[in-house]
Amino acid sequence: MKKYLQLAKITLEEYFVYRLNFYLWRFRSLVTFLTLLFFWLAIYGNRGEFLGYQKSQMLTYVIGIAFLRTIVLGSRSADMAMQIRSGELTKLLLQPIKTIRFWFTRDVVDKGLNLFFTIIEILVVLWILKLSFYLPHHLITYLSFTVLSLLAVFLYFFLSFTLSAIAFWTEEIWATRWLFGIIFLEFLAGAFFPLDVLPSWLTKIIYLTPFPYLVFFPLKIWLEQLTTGAIAQAFLICSIWLIFFWWLAILMWRKGSKNYQAYGG
Amino acid sequence: MIEVSQLRKFYSVFKKEPGLIGSFKSIFKRRYEEVRAVDDISFTIEEGELVGFIGPNGAGKTTTLKCLSGLLYPDSGFVSALGFQPWERKPEFQKQFALVMGQKNQLWWDLPPMETFLLNKEIYEVPQEQFKKTLDELVELLEVEDILKIQVRKLSLGQRMKCELIAALLHSPKVLFLDEPTIGLDVVMQKKIRDFIKEYNLRYKATIILTSHYMGDVKELCQRVMIIDKGKLVFDGELEKIVKKYAEHKLISVVLNEKVELKKLKEIGKIKEFVYPHVNFEVKKQQTSTLAAKILEELPVADLNIEEPPIEEIIRDLFTKKNYQ
Repeated sequence: MKKYLQLAKITLEEYFVYRLNFYLWRFRSLVTFLTLLFFWLAIYGNRGEFLGYQKSQMLTYVIGIAFLRTIVLGSRSADMAMQIRSGELTKLLLQPIKTIRFWFTRDVVDKGLNLFFTIIEILVVLWILKLSFYLPHHLITYLSFTVLSLLAVFLYFFLSFTLSAIAFWTEEIWATRWLFGIIFLEFLAGAFFPLDVLPSWLTKIIYLTPFPYLVFFPLKIWLEQLTTGAIAQAFLICSIWLIFFWWLAILMWRKGSKNYQAYGG
Repeated sequence: MIEVSQLRKFYSVFKKEPGLIGSFKSIFKRRYEEVRAVDDISFTIEEGELVGFIGPNGAGKTTTLKCLSGLLYPDSGFVSALGFQPWERKPEFQKQFALVMGQKNQLWWDLPPMETFLLNKEIYEVPQEQFKKTLDELVELLEVEDILKIQVRKLSLGQRMKCELIAALLHSPKVLFLDEPTIGLDVVMQKKIRDFIKEYNLRYKATIILTSHYMGDVKELCQRVMIIDKGKLVFDGELEKIVKKYAEHKLISVVLNEKVELKKLKEIGKIKEFVYPHVNFEVKKQQTSTLAAKILEELPVADLNIEEPPIEEIIRDLFTKKNYQ
C-alpha cells in the first residue's frame, strides 16, 4: 500500500513541475463548461421549460457534466498507450508493482486535484451568474448518486485501460481514442445534453451500452427524475458493464504484456 | 543461478521504403520480415560470476537480457533465473534483480533523482535503515551528493547514469543485468563505473551480466565472455581464450640500434608500423619463431618483444570476417 501512496505523492509533485500545463488544462475545461452553459442559457431565453426540463434542472445538468467530467472522464491511463509505443513501459514491467494499480493511483491523484479546482470554478460561476441549482430533497438521492458515480469512475477506468492496452498490438492508438473519446463516449454518455431528449427507440438502445452510466444516469438520479425501479436497473446494467470491462482489462493486459516488444535500448 | 537453453526470440519487422511515397504505399501493403534476434542460445551462469556479453550491433545481446529480466516472452526454449521463469514477472523474482540500460531512462524525468529513490524504496519494500545505509554508501562511492536534488532532465549523461545505477541497486539485487552501462561516458567516468561494478560484484557476490561495446569494460571486468552474433552464441569462455583461439597473427616489436633502410625491413617481413627506432612486424602465428630468429640475425636489434595483438583488433577481425570456427 505504501508504494502507491509514495506514487501518489510523486504524481502530485509532477503536476507542480508543469504548472502552466495544468493551468491551461483547467482553462480548457472551464471554456468547455462555459460554452455549454451559455448555449443552454441562450436556448432557454425567457422560457421556463424546454424538452421537458425546467431551466434550473437543465443548468444543474450542465453543472453536473462539469463535475462528472472531472471525476469520471478524467484519466491518466491514456498515457499507457504512449508508454507502450515508446518502450517506457519497460520500467514498470521490471518492478514489483501492479500496472493496473499504478495507473489507477495516478488517476485518483489527477481526479482529486482537478476536482478541487472544478468545485471552485463551479461555485464562482454560480455566484457570478446568480444561477439556481437543484438540490435533491432526499438523503437516499445523495447516496445513490455517490454510489453510481463511483461505479462510473471504475467503469471508465477499465474502459480506458482496455483501450490503451490495444497499443500492444496496433502501436497507434490516437485514431481509436479520438473516435471513441469524442464521438461515442462523450455523446453517448450525455456529456453535451441529457439523452432523454432523443427519440425513445434510440435511447433504449443507448441505455444498453455502458456509456450513459458515466454521466447521464448519475445526473438523472441527482435530479430525482428516476423511479426506484429505474435506479435499480441503472445500477444493474452499470455493474454488469463494470465487471465485463474489469475482466477485459485484465485479459488484455495479460495477453498484451506477453506481446510487449520493449522497444529501444 | 541463471540457465538458458535453446532460447529463441524472433521479431517480425515491417519494412518501409524511404520517403513519403514509401509511407503512402505502406498504408496499403506492408512487407514484413522476420528478424531472428535470438536463435537457439544456451548457457548457464553461476552465482557471483561477472560475464561479458559482446557482439556487433543488433547481435541479440539486449534481447537476451530482456528475456532474462522478463520483459520479453520467449518464442521457444527455457529461461530460468534465480529459480524463476522471468516472464512470469513474480514480485519475489523482481525484488532480486535489476536491469540497467545505458540508453534508457528509468528515473522520473521531471523530478530530482531522490524522488525515484524514495519511490523505489517503497516499491521494493526496502526497510528504512537498510535504505539509508545503502543510499549513503552508493552516493559516496559514486560522488553524486550535490545532484540528488536536481531535476533528472537537467543532469548530464554521466550524472544520470550514476543515478540510474543507484536507483537500480537500492534493493541490493543479487543479479544485475547491465546493458551498456558506460555508453557515452568520458574515460574518467567509465573507469569509475567499472571500478564500481567490480566492487559491487566482489562485495555482494552479485551475479552480473554486462554488455558493452567498449572492450575496455570487458577486459577489465569479465573473466568469462560470451560472443553473440546474428542471434547465435558463437563463443563462451575465458577472455584469454579468445586471443588463443582467434588471433591469427602475432606482433614482433623491435627497437633498432641504428637506422635501417625501409626496403631492407620490407624484405624481412610484413611491417605494421615503422617510426624509427621502433618497428613492428606482423607475422602468422606459426612463423613467429622463424621470423624472430631472422630478425635477430639480420637487423641491429636493441630490443625485441613478441606480443599478442590487442584484443580489440582480434574482436574487430572476428566481427568483420564472421569466422567463428
